[in-house]
Amino acid sequence: MKKLSRNPDLVWRDEPEEREVILNALMSGDESAADKGWVIIIDKGSMHQLNLLAGEIWLLLDGTLDEAGVANDLVERYDAPFEEIIEDVREFIAECDEKGWLA
Amino acid sequence: MKLSAPLTVNWTLSYACNFSCRHCYSRDIEKEELALEENLKVVDALSQARIAFVNFGGGEPLLYRHLFEVTEHATKKGLKVTMNSNGWLIDEEAASNCAKAGFRSVGISIDGADAPTHDGFRDRPGSYDRAHLALKNLCAAGVPTTVSTVIFKGNVTRYKEIVSQAADSGAGTVYLHNFKCSGRGMENREELDLSPSEWRDFYEDALAWRDDAPCALAFDDPVIALLGEESAAAVKGSTCGKLSLHLEPDGDATPCGFIPLSLGNILTDGLKKIWNDSDVLNQMRNKEATGKCVGCSVYGECLGGCTARALATTGSFNAPDPHCWKE
Ligand code: SF4
Ligand code: SF4
Repeated sequence: MKKLSRNPDLVWRDEPEEREVILNALMSGDESAADKGWVIIIDKGSMHQLNLLAGEIWLLLDGTLDEAGVANDLVERYDAPFEEIIEDVREFIAECDEKGWLA
Repeated sequence: MKLSAPLTVNWTLSYACNFSCRHCYSRDIEKEELALEENLKVVDALSQARIAFVNFGGGEPLLYRHLFEVTEHATKKGLKVTMNSNGWLIDEEAASNCAKAGFRSVGISIDGADAPTHDGFRDRPGSYDRAHLALKNLCAAGVPTTVSTVIFKGNVTRYKEIVSQAADSGAGTVYLHNFKCSGRGMENREELDLSPSEWRDFYEDALAWRDDAPCALAFDDPVIALLGEESAAAVKGSTCGKLSLHLEPDGDATPCGFIPLSLGNILTDGLKKIWNDSDVLNQMRNKEATGKCVGCSVYGECLGGCTARALATTGSFNAPDPHCWKE
């Protein structure tokens, strides 16, 4: 499978402290925190925020992993079933591809 | 989302200018300038804080003699560098130097659809022609360009011509800026600024025209939330102090160029402390509705409009933007 990389022309920044805030909120039962943004992408003058999972996937798109590799990494870290995660990964990658966010 | 640092730093390397514009916020400000070595340290601090964009303004950035050295250092560090210039000094050689230094784009100020309007507003005969020539020189050198237009009484009926001419000279985007009430903009406000209902009419017209315009149009006025516009940024209301910060020639930080309140110095206090601990920034990030903003249906989007304008005209961060036309 194709190794996935971010479009190098795109401007983006992750916010690790915001990620911690989201994880702490999830631990204390606030499930809506998973939708909060912690990675910002600036594309054509617009600013996009990635939620917890999308942001985690985005950070893994460094050219070393394919879709299954990305999903496996998240399965280990989040202790979630592979079948569920791979669906989310595929959906987000398709969205990125459509927006021209991949190399 | 609260950011760990600004995404954009608007950096005035020098307040020196070869123009004397009637709306200028900075023409009468004087500040010491940092030495080149210190400005290179500022770049390192910005890079370390993972700032994405640096935009040089002023003053006329090309009058700062180390502009290209600072720019080259910043682009090498991965910062995306742009500048706003009046265009007077951008001949073919300067345009080529802009390309070599790595400018991602250069914005040229054009405030009139003809020479008398632009040159009169900017108090510099010949500046209209040189601004368009600057755009063409930059295009020929392969540097993407934008145009910044401050809407005022003298150009509001002809802004579409300004946009069309800018597109003909190669600009990809025209920023139709609201009028700021700072410095000379405040002194000449009565004569130059539109009334709230004139602002409404302008925005209605410009937003309706946007899709047919010959290049992209951009607006920076939170009050257009009243016309159903939603911010493309990750924050609502003014972006100053939330997404961006302004640096003065001596390294002092202010929320934006139009708010003359020093928050600390980037070299002595550090960016992190300024960004995280400033009372002024905290007030700007946590505005409270007052006056007609209380109960306004678009408060969540507009947050009282431009904080700089509210502060300049009333002394309060929380006052409604004086351009707001809501009854
Ligand atoms: S608006 Fe710009 S070009 Fe005009 S005087 Fe001020 S700094 Fe100079
Ligand atoms: S009333 Fe206040 S919040 Fe509503 S549009 Fe006017 S300035 Fe913005």
